[in-house]
Amino acid sequence: MSAPKPQFTGPQPSATAIFYRNIGWLRFVDRFGRKGQAAMEYLGGMAELAWQTLVAAVTRPFYSGEVLTQMDEIGVKSLSITGITALFTGMVLALQTAYSLAAFGGKMFVGRVVSLSLVRELGPVLTALMVGGRVGSGITAEIGSMTVTEQVDALRAMAISPVRRLVVPRVLATLLMMPVLTALADVLGILGGLLISVVELQMTAQDYLGGIWQQLSISDFMSGLGKTFFFGFEIALIGCWNGLKVEGGAAAVGQATTRTVVLASICVLMSDFFLTKLFLAL
Amino acid sequence: MSATTGPTPTGKPAPAPAGETIVEFDNVWKRYGGKEILAGVNLNIRRGEIVCVLGPSGTGKSVTLRHINGLTKPDEGDVRVFGQSVIPLSEEQLSPIRRRLAMLFQGGALFDSMNVEKNVGFPLREHTDKSPKEIAETVAEKLAMVGLPGTQRKMPSELSGGMRKRVALARSIALEPEVILYDEPTTGLDPLTSEKIGQLIVDINHRIRTTSVVVTHDVVMARTVANRLAFLHQGRFQFIGTFEEATRSGPPVLMEYFRSMGFPCGTGTSTIPVLKS
Repeated sequence: MSAPKPQFTGPQPSATAIFYRNIGWLRFVDRFGRKGQAAMEYLGGMAELAWQTLVAAVTRPFYSGEVLTQMDEIGVKSLSITGITALFTGMVLALQTAYSLAAFGGKMFVGRVVSLSLVRELGPVLTALMVGGRVGSGITAEIGSMTVTEQVDALRAMAISPVRRLVVPRVLATLLMMPVLTALADVLGILGGLLISVVELQMTAQDYLGGIWQQLSISDFMSGLGKTFFFGFEIALIGCWNGLKVEGGAAAVGQATTRTVVLASICVLMSDFFLTKLFLAL
Repeated sequence: MSATTGPTPTGKPAPAPAGETIVEFDNVWKRYGGKEILAGVNLNIRRGEIVCVLGPSGTGKSVTLRHINGLTKPDEGDVRVFGQSVIPLSEEQLSPIRRRLAMLFQGGALFDSMNVEKNVGFPLREHTDKSPKEIAETVAEKLAMVGLPGTQRKMPSELSGGMRKRVALARSIALEPEVILYDEPTTGLDPLTSEKIGQLIVDINHRIRTTSVVVTHDVVMARTVANRLAFLHQGRFQFIGTFEEATRSGPPVLMEYFRSMGFPCGTGTSTIPVLKS
């Protein structure tokens, strides 16, 4: 016969003691809950703004002059940075590809690899990242300062919708200019590769371009450019939302601007994955 | 305390016309971060009068003002403008009411991407079918009205604080609104400029027959312009009446406020006021 298990006979811990023992956990859960709620509210607000923007974009009144101004501000003035980025990316790609393929005697494929990577992936994504940094931050800084100096409230008080007047032109302009900037980036990147192939790799221009001609199809271009509409929409919307949400003064505008750059970059990279999967499945 | 039962104003700057009630606050409550800013505000504003909402900084005067054009919505209570409740209205639905109101913001809130002419003409371009020539004429007229003729080409950054407020005032009156809401029109201005702005408010009230609600902490300003003043303290209007009544028989907390602003009270208003700051 086995001895009965010894039973704990000491005083039971009180409810207060249990509470204090678990307080670390409770704090963690509380903080997690609050953060989660704030994140949900943030995303919910952005989704609402996205919906209002879509509705406002297809109903009167339209601010077409403002859209053109923003296309100049957002698109034309981004040409230099996206162009330089693409040119040097094409040059580096050509160097690296030649270096990696040289061991297999595959230098002839440089043109194909460079053009395919640029047109399908690097052109759209690098352009979006550069535009996200330049344009997204600019939008947040501008709308954010308008918010803290009550200019946005002044618009509302004058019965003018800030969504129609400020958000829609910026979103439309970014959305329309992104494919244009990307197409130019593709071309410049391929030219950068050509430059390096001819000058550094002792290839002929015909070899380089011939490979590209054989390799690239129209669907490669389309899948690359198709993504940029979504990138443009994301960047401008994040920029506008962070700007409209600013509370406080100059410091808050600075923080909002940083948040836009970080969030826009992450969104571009994440949505790139899903859009690529989608376009490959189509 | 209902303002409609307030006694007939006796003096400056003009007798309050006994018009219909066009703005009504009905037991309005507003909390920010768990703190009660407005705790049961009641106020009626009649057509044609100038009402000053007076009180120390941070008591919710501007919040009260922002309830009138729906920029802020109350947690409880009702705000009726032109007889219509603004609480359930969406931004789009508020548009017809907002077109009849104008608001002068604390810092002017001029659009800094536009010059003075574009700023003042902005509401006209948005809400009327006027030709550019007509708009230019109206802009010139309104700028002359606020004492800044010929400043059309200037950018807001080139203007002083007082000029900016006057341009903003010109923009507010461009559409000849029925009600003008002034949010701290003299904050940050020297006494002389403050006085000019005060005179301008009275002048505009007469010339384009508006109703004015002036939020201020400036007692001299309130004395210059108000037909009636409403003193906000601890989330409620502790006093609504004329300036004379306030200095003679206002509640102790209002007397204390007057004294803290360097304004002698209990002796009528004949003494020339001196601002401490």
